[in-house]
Amino acid sequence: MNPSTLLIPVFLPLAAGALIFLLAKAWKGSGAVLSLAATAGMLAVSALLFGKEGTAALPWAGFGLDFVCRLMPFNGFILLAVSFFAFCTALYAASSLKGKSIAPHFFGFLMLSAGFAAGAVIADHLVLLLFFWEGLLGSMYGLIAMGRKDAWRTAIKMFVIVGVSDLCMMAGIAMTGHAAGSLVMSSIHLPVEGLNTLAFLLLAIGGLAKAGSMPFHSWIPFAAEDAPLPFMAFFPGALEKLVGIYFLARLSLDLYGLQAGSWVSLLLMTVGAVTILLAVLMALIQKDYKKLLSYHAISQVGYMVLGIGTASAVGVIGGLFHMLNNALYKSGLFLTAGMVEKQAGTTDLRKLGGLGKRMPLTAAAFVVFGLSISGVPPFNGFFSKELVYDAALERHWVFYLAAVLGSFFTAASFLKLGHAAFFGPAKPEHRDVREAPWPMLLPALVIAGLCVLFGVYNTLPVHRFLAPAVGEEALAGHHVSGMPANWMLVAGTLIALAAALLNHRYGVKRSGAGLGAADHIHHAPGLSGVYDRAERQAFDPYNHWTAFVGVLSRILNAADRGVNALFDVVSVSAAKTLSAGTRRLQSGAYTAYVLWSMAGLAAAAWWMFR
Amino acid sequence: MTVDLILLGLLVLAALWAVLSVRLMMSVIGLAAVSVAVSLLMFRLDAPYAAMFELSVCAGLISVIFFVAISFTKRLTAEDIRTHRKERLRKTVWLPFLLAGLAILLVARLKSPGFAPAPDPGGDVRTLLWGGRHLDLIGQIVTLLAGAFGVVVLFKEKNR
Amino acid sequence: MQSLLILVPLVCLMLFNLPWKRGVGQAVSFGAGLAFLAAQAAAALWAMLSGGEPFADPLAGFLVFKTSADGLTWVMLLTIAVVAASSLAVSRAAFTDEKDRFYFANLLFVSVIGMNGAALSGDLFTLYVFFEAASVASFILIAFRRGMAGLEGAFKYLVMSTVATVLMLTGVGFFMLAGAGTSFAEVRAACLQSAHPEFARVGGLAFMAGLFIKGGMVPFHGWLPDAYGTAPGPVSVLLAGIVTKATGVYGLIRLTGSVLPMMPEVQTLLMTLGIVSIYAGALAAIGQSDYKRMLAYSSISQVGYIVLALGCRTPLALAGAVFHLLNHAVFKSLLFSNAAAVESRLGHNDMNRMGGLQAQMPWSSLSAVIGLLSTAGIPPLGGFWSKVIILLALWQAGFHAAAVLALAASLLTLAYFLSMQRRVFFAKGTETGSAVTEAGAAYLWPQLALAGLTAAIGIGFPFVYRFLLTPIQQLLW
Repeated sequence: MNPSTLLIPVFLPLAAGALIFLLAKAWKGSGAVLSLAATAGMLAVSALLFGKEGTAALPWAGFGLDFVCRLMPFNGFILLAVSFFAFCTALYAASSLKGKSIAPHFFGFLMLSAGFAAGAVIADHLVLLLFFWEGLLGSMYGLIAMGRKDAWRTAIKMFVIVGVSDLCMMAGIAMTGHAAGSLVMSSIHLPVEGLNTLAFLLLAIGGLAKAGSMPFHSWIPFAAEDAPLPFMAFFPGALEKLVGIYFLARLSLDLYGLQAGSWVSLLLMTVGAVTILLAVLMALIQKDYKKLLSYHAISQVGYMVLGIGTASAVGVIGGLFHMLNNALYKSGLFLTAGMVEKQAGTTDLRKLGGLGKRMPLTAAAFVVFGLSISGVPPFNGFFSKELVYDAALERHWVFYLAAVLGSFFTAASFLKLGHAAFFGPAKPEHRDVREAPWPMLLPALVIAGLCVLFGVYNTLPVHRFLAPAVGEEALAGHHVSGMPANWMLVAGTLIALAAALLNHRYGVKRSGAGLGAADHIHHAPGLSGVYDRAERQAFDPYNHWTAFVGVLSRILNAADRGVNALFDVVSVSAAKTLSAGTRRLQSGAYTAYVLWSMAGLAAAAWWMFR
Repeated sequence: MTVDLILLGLLVLAALWAVLSVRLMMSVIGLAAVSVAVSLLMFRLDAPYAAMFELSVCAGLISVIFFVAISFTKRLTAEDIRTHRKERLRKTVWLPFLLAGLAILLVARLKSPGFAPAPDPGGDVRTLLWGGRHLDLIGQIVTLLAGAFGVVVLFKEKNR
Repeated sequence: MQSLLILVPLVCLMLFNLPWKRGVGQAVSFGAGLAFLAAQAAAALWAMLSGGEPFADPLAGFLVFKTSADGLTWVMLLTIAVVAASSLAVSRAAFTDEKDRFYFANLLFVSVIGMNGAALSGDLFTLYVFFEAASVASFILIAFRRGMAGLEGAFKYLVMSTVATVLMLTGVGFFMLAGAGTSFAEVRAACLQSAHPEFARVGGLAFMAGLFIKGGMVPFHGWLPDAYGTAPGPVSVLLAGIVTKATGVYGLIRLTGSVLPMMPEVQTLLMTLGIVSIYAGALAAIGQSDYKRMLAYSSISQVGYIVLALGCRTPLALAGAVFHLLNHAVFKSLLFSNAAAVESRLGHNDMNRMGGLQAQMPWSSLSAVIGLLSTAGIPPLGGFWSKVIILLALWQAGFHAAAVLALAASLLTLAYFLSMQRRVFFAKGTETGSAVTEAGAAYLWPQLALAGLTAAIGIGFPFVYRFLLTPIQQLLW
């Protein structure tokens, strides 16, 4: 392999993005065509590169900041996944955004994002990584802001949250570079101890925020409403997890050696468990297709963080496997949401119903995705979740319990979603709804096929993609593919799923409709008040912080004005007085000028000959 | 020595007269008196050619030109003369004191007011200044040219 | 080659004024002037880059006079050529009458000969003679329009210049009492090993005082605002850009840098004058409402930086002083060209009656912004580097208070310039929406070229440092 081939997946989409922006006016269809071509090329190159290793370095900013990219087993499959999802999104968007005015810019930003994400995955220099990280932030801002009319508010919210976490990451990079004496990632291997712990946590904040884990999640549900749909499928659905979780895993396994059982590991696991539970509880009560999915996008991150946080080989491989699986079914789910929105005109569950008959293929795909995300065997989500359960239980049963509870609520909320949208009585206004067009359907079906494949034949992803990343020797003695060895865990999962089914039946019976299947939880005594406050965003850390910053900025502003006034009054009046004085001296009489110079001379003479 | 000092005193007085007098005629006479004093000093400093030149051109020829020019001007009124004189005195009165103070300071500091020349490098001041310095001649030529242009530019007919 | 820089313009000057058929001299003078100045700039650049002159003096065998040149000389010759060429270009637009243009070109030649001669001389008396030539040309140029204001400005300059002449001649006299002659080397020797070192000190002080007047240091500056303010546009470009710098300031650099020995009193004197000039100039500039007078005070303030650096008297400070002189020449001629352009369109210089010219004169506004940013020392323009070098040199030499004061004065600089830019161009005012048009190409090209030059100096600073400033640092003894 020629090492510079490695740069193609980064520069090809970036060049395509720049070209799209240039051609936006001249050639309206350029976005779709160029994006498809570029992502296809990217996908082909990534597939060719898969399984190979190599380093490509270009001289860059000087001062030892070289443009170093390195392909290794750890990131090869993530690069492949990024390329795959970029291609699917381009294909999907080519149809769903056809003729829309935002299309050229969407494709432009999409290509930039794809390039930056690929760069972030293969960068082997922390500063270069940060460069791509920030680039991704910028292009994400563009993608969100171009959505609905008020989307810029969400965009700014995202920018602030992710931007602040990136600042943390920057500090972490500086500390890491100082501690390791190098910023080249392959040469950094530090223990998590002393000040390094702080650096590790700062870097982890960067990864967690990118992945959308709690407490950095609060922009995602708003983006679900405001941003263009293909953005939701691509970013919170797949790409952010790929990049963020990749970095978190690389951080815990490679850059730093996270010790199993250490408090940092427990902290990560707690973040994961809390994310799983809180987000899924919020998802349960949503009445909008896309918003419900967006909370799941947060909740699923919890499993990955939990898996990686265990710091055991099984847990890490479970987390990474879950990342892959989640990217598949979550983007697939968002794609079905997009199809429903396009065909039925809305994603409000109260207005949907019985679409399964009108859109059978979409419904079939949804079922596959729903079964996958709920962790029903033999779909892919089941196997990755089992790995995470296994590792979590090894640490403490509380984490296992949280994960299984999460699974229960996930299943419940998807039963509700499917029931409300695709089954149940058809709404009369949907009589003319037809199946979605093929270009939109095709990515969803392909992804659904992959969900089944990764489940039934899970040896392929686990041993082909993931095991090389962790190292086969670390997995020795662990049963990570095929059916789970621990039948007790499987039984636990099945009990949770069965409970979810019963719960659903009870809810439907109680409220009389699929949509109300979770109402008894929503309005349960004690919970309903919490839910109400959560709906009002009372728990959104972003709001608390912005309120705090608002007060702070008012105080600082007042102080600043005071200082300003001091300067304005004192310095300006001093300058005016002195200026008027010098002007008065300049009387215009040459005798005065001669006199001054003579006085100056006299003073100088006195000084020199005193 | 005494004669030199008296001449210097006269020179300063004549110069002050030239500057302070309000009527142009009186100024020209003062200027001529300055030239006479300078010329006498030059004689005493053993520079007869310079002295002759100073006497004939500066005291004689130029004064005549001034007189001709003044004959074209208008006389000032008595009122004008009074105000101008007052103002001019007020503006200039400090200058002599300042210069005198400066001179006293320097003379006191230098301690050798006799102007004993430095070890003679061989050759007097004339050869020193003009002997090997033809570059200065070009400078002089250019300065004269500038003066000529000045006459052309500043005294050309205004309404052509 | 050095002698040609004096003789060629002199011969040209004489040829122009032969009684040719009508208009021949007038037609040729502009082109010949530009061609000569371009050749001078090229020769100076060549000398700086290659470390030697482009060709040997063809007249060396015939000439009875000797010139001398070093790194400082070449920088001065380059600066003279650049500013004089800009002034000549602006004069093309400012004077409509063919005869006026011709006389201006002639006087510009006189002035250039005077400045070139001064830069090439190795002798204090010769220096004085050539200063005189440049000054006489300036008197006439200031009064060029023969208006009352111009004549008054010229008269004040004449009086003060005469005082300066007397002081310089007194200085030469004292130097001769102290030593063997007036060449730089002889005076230097006299200062070190004379039987009468006091004479050398008095001579040094008197000569310096003359140069203070010529260079417009506070409190020797009285003539300067009147002269700059009343002179016609192209003349203020020439006068502010180079004449006072190539006479007074260059003389000071030579005298204190490579003639007089290190004297703590002189150092303190120069630094005090520098600080006083910086602040007095800047404060007076703030209060001005006349565009050109404001620029004149700004000139005083900027020359203060140069003198402050001279007082520091380290190799780096000397390089900074010369570099600031070069930069000042570029950006101040740029700003005076700008003032000339505005004056040509509005007919006055009163900033209170301008305002809102941004829409009508966008290019002039742009060049003014570049000029003022460079003056205020904003990177990456040329003025930034020279100020940085000066401040660095001051700090290294231990004059921390002076460095801080000089740095703080940059704020004042920015204050009066931003006020100027607002009052003339940006703010709404008398001229908002008026029928004024952008200044003509003859006004704009010199401005844009100078703006490009100040940016190029700033961006190409490493080269400038290597080729212009490194040789200068060795001049100090």
